[in-house]
Amino acid sequence: MITVSKIATKNQERFVKESILEVQNITKEVNSPEGVLTILKDVNLTINSGDVTSIVGPSGSGKTTLLAIMAGLDLPSRGRIMLMGHEITAMNEDKRAQVRSNDVGFVFQSFHLLPRLSALDNVMLPLEILGDKNAKKKSLEALNQIGLEKRVKHLPNQLSGGEKQRVAIARAMVKQPKILFADEPTGNLDKTSTEVISDLLFSINRSFQTTIVIVTHDLLLAKNCETMHELDEGSLKC
Amino acid sequence: MLNGFYYGLKKFWFDLTSGDLIILFFSIVLAVTAISSVSFLGDRLQSSIQQQASVVLAADMAFRSTSPLPEDYLTSATNQGLRVAKTISFLSMALANNDNLLASIKATTSTYPLRGTVVLKDFTGEVLSNDKGTPNSGYIWVEPKLVEALNLKQSDQLVIGNASFVVEAILDDYPDRNVGFLAFSPTIITNIADLKSMGVIQTGSRVVYRQLFSGTENQVNLFFDSVSNLPEEVRVQRLDEVGDQLGRTLDRSTRFFNLAGLFTIVIAAISSMIAARRYAARHLLNTALMKVFGASKKFILSSQICQLLIMIVLATSVGLCCGYLIQSLLISLLDELIGSDLPPPSLQPVFIGFLTSVSLVFAATAPYLKLLGEAEPIRILRNDFAFHLKNNIGVYTLAILTLTAFLLVLLEDVNLVLSILGAMCVLVIVLSVLGYFVVWLLSLYSNVSGSGWRMGLRNISRRRNASILQIVVFGLSLTFLMALTETRTDLLESWKETLKEDTPNYFFFNIQDYETADINSFFKDRLEQPITFTPLIRGRLLGVTSSSGEPVKAQNMIEREANLTWFDALPENNLVVEGEWWLSDLGPPSVSVDKDIAASMNLSIGDRLSFTAGGMSFEATVSSFREVQWESFAPNFFFILSPGLGRDLPQSFITSLNVPPDSRVANEFIERFPTVTSVDLEAALSQIRSIVNSASLAVQAIFILSLFAGILTLVAAIFSSVDQRKKETAVIHTMGATRRTIFAAVAAEFLGLGILSGLTAVLAAMLFSGFLSTQIFELNYTPNPIIFISGFLVGVTSIAVAGMLAVRQAIYSPAILTLRNY
Repeated sequence: MITVSKIATKNQERFVKESILEVQNITKEVNSPEGVLTILKDVNLTINSGDVTSIVGPSGSGKTTLLAIMAGLDLPSRGRIMLMGHEITAMNEDKRAQVRSNDVGFVFQSFHLLPRLSALDNVMLPLEILGDKNAKKKSLEALNQIGLEKRVKHLPNQLSGGEKQRVAIARAMVKQPKILFADEPTGNLDKTSTEVISDLLFSINRSFQTTIVIVTHDLLLAKNCETMHELDEGSLKC
Repeated sequence: MLNGFYYGLKKFWFDLTSGDLIILFFSIVLAVTAISSVSFLGDRLQSSIQQQASVVLAADMAFRSTSPLPEDYLTSATNQGLRVAKTISFLSMALANNDNLLASIKATTSTYPLRGTVVLKDFTGEVLSNDKGTPNSGYIWVEPKLVEALNLKQSDQLVIGNASFVVEAILDDYPDRNVGFLAFSPTIITNIADLKSMGVIQTGSRVVYRQLFSGTENQVNLFFDSVSNLPEEVRVQRLDEVGDQLGRTLDRSTRFFNLAGLFTIVIAAISSMIAARRYAARHLLNTALMKVFGASKKFILSSQICQLLIMIVLATSVGLCCGYLIQSLLISLLDELIGSDLPPPSLQPVFIGFLTSVSLVFAATAPYLKLLGEAEPIRILRNDFAFHLKNNIGVYTLAILTLTAFLLVLLEDVNLVLSILGAMCVLVIVLSVLGYFVVWLLSLYSNVSGSGWRMGLRNISRRRNASILQIVVFGLSLTFLMALTETRTDLLESWKETLKEDTPNYFFFNIQDYETADINSFFKDRLEQPITFTPLIRGRLLGVTSSSGEPVKAQNMIEREANLTWFDALPENNLVVEGEWWLSDLGPPSVSVDKDIAASMNLSIGDRLSFTAGGMSFEATVSSFREVQWESFAPNFFFILSPGLGRDLPQSFITSLNVPPDSRVANEFIERFPTVTSVDLEAALSQIRSIVNSASLAVQAIFILSLFAGILTLVAAIFSSVDQRKKETAVIHTMGATRRTIFAAVAAEFLGLGILSGLTAVLAAMLFSGFLSTQIFELNYTPNPIIFISGFLVGVTSIAVAGMLAVRQAIYSPAILTLRNY
């Protein structure tokens, strides 16, 4: 089992549970050839700092849309999102990007590693955007923490699925975000890799009190989270 | 913003070497190479051609008049920093050794000639060093024909009018050779100060006064603009108006340079746009991901602008170096022809190079940069990395306007740029329609044997829009190349035709009717050339009666000696453009007029011209206007009389022949027929030949550069779809298709695309070449099947081979390796 314990210390003192993310009356509608389609309907949700929260539901229930809106990647049609005290639904794209650049990390089902960049270069990417002069050192350290020190120069097509997702997690964690959004992080992995990635995510939460929001089909992973929400046809089941 | 620049800088080399920027980089390198070498070479060749053309004038500009010209022009030009000279030419009898000959006297100032040199020889044939254009007062320089005819020796005395001169040297060459009536007689150069003592210029004498000016193009233009109210009889002679042949050569070569440059830029713009699309497509994931990680729009744009700026600087520098090397190589090859005293290239091509790359990169990348800047981070979660170029009409319009404005600034030829861009739009529409049609036809007939071939051909119709786009891009490049080849060939052929080896270089005048049989047999024995004697009637135009009451402007022509002739049938090198040629001798007295003269006199068909010739006055009705090919070097006339009218007028005959320059035939002829005047045009012909040769070589060189640009566009178009094809190839491979089947499918697809593009391009190229030849170059157009067939074959082969090579690696590497990249 891979555990993370030494990446950083800045979140370790945050033991008092307070809300880090508030979803208030979120509705998302899109135009379709059949007319207006409601993807999310009056969703309300509060996520506390340091929690690992899962959102489950069948395909097409609006999980990924909700994740995108919570992370400020998309805007709702109505309602508001308070992320770390900022009303991100009232911000423009660049302001939301600024919030993401400092405090938000992402892990995706399809990994989305840049194919022509090495594992190290992929991990360095978020720090380079911040203009961090120690990007390389920090990235090497992050890869080291997740046991990929021997894969530093490998290109994504030279890594297994589990390794790719570990690189993606290192990339998400390298800037020590307060909150990590994971969209089906084990969706493309086999059983062994799924366990490795699940353990890694929980280990990150324990070590740094990083809030993690996971959208998943994997009920085993979902049940291991402190809180689980189920989404069905755009509405949260109580 | 600075972070973005720094990030772009850090990633530049990686992006360049990993293939994202490389095609765009090479497109820009090639465009700059082509434009800068066209510019470097064109600049120097054009100045060489102009230098040679200026030798024909002996100046950069000249005022010519049959009345004395005011000295004010010379003073004003000198004040404006121009160099000036004066010549006065007229015919007079030269007497020496108890013999006489009508000579063309050219009295010059010491500054003559402003362009070119006067080459003198002594009587032993030694070239004399000479930096003057006029002999000392009391001395003269004479042409060899005078030496022979008057049996002159060094320091002999020769009398012109009231003055006696010492023959100082033989005139071997001089720049502004005489034309018109002065060309019939051998030339004597005298000092202008001796004119008065000769006393031969009387009121009514036929004299040509010329004032010569020389300086930079700008100085000459400024001076010309400052001269107002030039009297009507003063003709301004400028470099681009030096005779029809030279003028057209300069004009056509300039137009070809511009056309080739324009094609190269347009072709390079197409490959740049394709490459920019590939660059953007490959950066979409990257950009969306960076946005997810918190990169702002500014950060992304500044990183991309930084990369593009570095690429512009690098590609332009490489392109400029290549351009300079190419022009140096060409100049060294042309050294013998154009001389080594060309002015060094200016810095203008450097400016043009940067302007080219900035305009191309902006036009090609602006739409995609906008798309990348606006790429929503949500795409990452949707796995949506497709480009949607709709709703970007504004950016595209801006890109096209940028390109148009750049071409207008570069070529300074509004008609050429707008007509070619307009024709190009039509061409794109034609190619799209043809492409749609042939792809549709193909979808009906894809039942070929062999699964690979069937798969390949189906792919074309399955990917209909992409296939049509590729047919348009391939077709456009092939069309341009074929049209350019056609135009180049037509242009070179037309130049070769007008200046072929057997172009007449001697004119013989004053042949009497009774001499024609002897002269015919004289030349038949020696030259084995058919001889045509053309009647020559010396007359004067007395007046014009307008049939419509419209005023005519005949003042310049009236009372001037006019050479008339008559013909039964329309002579060669003439084309009736208005009215009708007479059908028989029996019609009313008629005259056919050169269309330019008719236009200058504001004549209409049906107007009546009255002439006098040989003491007889007569009237003729204008029955037709002719377009005359003056550069044919055959006897051509402004006025041709109908046979019933001309046959009975007093006349002599004229003929033109090609006499080998080194033979003694001309001398023998002069001895045998002393009353016949012969005019040697060999020197003038050589001058023109060397200009045409320079222009031909430059045209060839620039054509080759355009060819490279076309090839690069084909490569860019092929590479634009390579990623998708690689993925498909790998998927098909995992489904059990053999490499042979996949190879056959790829070959069939590219061969199919090549054939479809080739066919559409041949059709489009025929239309386009016809348009270029007739509208831009004013040449007759006949399609050249060899060019179209070879263009088709080369195009098809290149597309098929390049396409197969591009996806070869994917076919022969394990499918899993390819798929892992996606």
